Amino acid sequence: MRVSVLFFGATADEVGARELEIDFPENASAGAAFAEIVEKYPRLANHKLLFAINQEYASGDEAIRDGDELAVFTAVSGG
Amino acid sequence: MSHEEIRNPKSEIRNPNGFCEITTAPLDVGAIARRTVPVNCGAIVTLDGFVRQFTKGRETDYLVYEAYEPMALKEMEKLAARAREEFAIEHVAIVHRTGRLEIGETSVVIAVAAPHRRAAFEACEWLIKELKRTVPIWKKEVYADGETWIEGETPA
Repeated sequence: MRVSVLFFGATADEVGARELEIDFPENASAGAAFAEIVEKYPRLANHKLLFAINQEYASGDEAIRDGDELAVFTAVSGG
Repeated sequence: MSHEEIRNPKSEIRNPNGFCEITTAPLDVGAIARRTVPVNCGAIVTLDGFVRQFTKGRETDYLVYEAYEPMALKEMEKLAARAREEFAIEHVAIVHRTGRLEIGETSVVIAVAAPHRRAAFEACEWLIKELKRTVPIWKKEVYADGETWIEGETPA
């Protein structure tokens, strides 16, 4: 199952990319997917991270599906 | 072509009770506030948030704002809808600028129109507080000798 993972601001700098295509096992939970991303890019763990699936904040329990849009970013600082 | 369309926002959500936009173009708080004035309203409260030169004693050269645009627009629209439910207001506009902003340039405008001023003041304060907590936009402060992505508070 292939999903795209988006990074913004500090997380894009840490990963060195703004978007990655990543394969996950079928029926992976969002929490497991995000944990795997942080394991792959350990510098992300230096930040307070927020996660989104298909442009909504994620709780972690959701199952992810082929073609989903995931996002990993730091606590927001607009305004 | 409508009045709004010639402003050429990068992305936007509009409804009869307001609009949310993200744009790289300069923001004019007065123009945004006056784009809609419902006939039953008697007050508009606006927030004009702009780039501060000194933060905790350190001088900023300029800022760069980045947004997760489609999600940011959705979150802005959710805030506007909630504000219209919880306060006695009619119309909400939320516009955020992205890209490079110089000192003194406006980064965010919130405009709330209401029949009476008190609800508009309260809603405007609530909206900016929530925007800074939940809308996926980030600022990078660039100094003479470095730069830093600012990280906010994690939403509860």
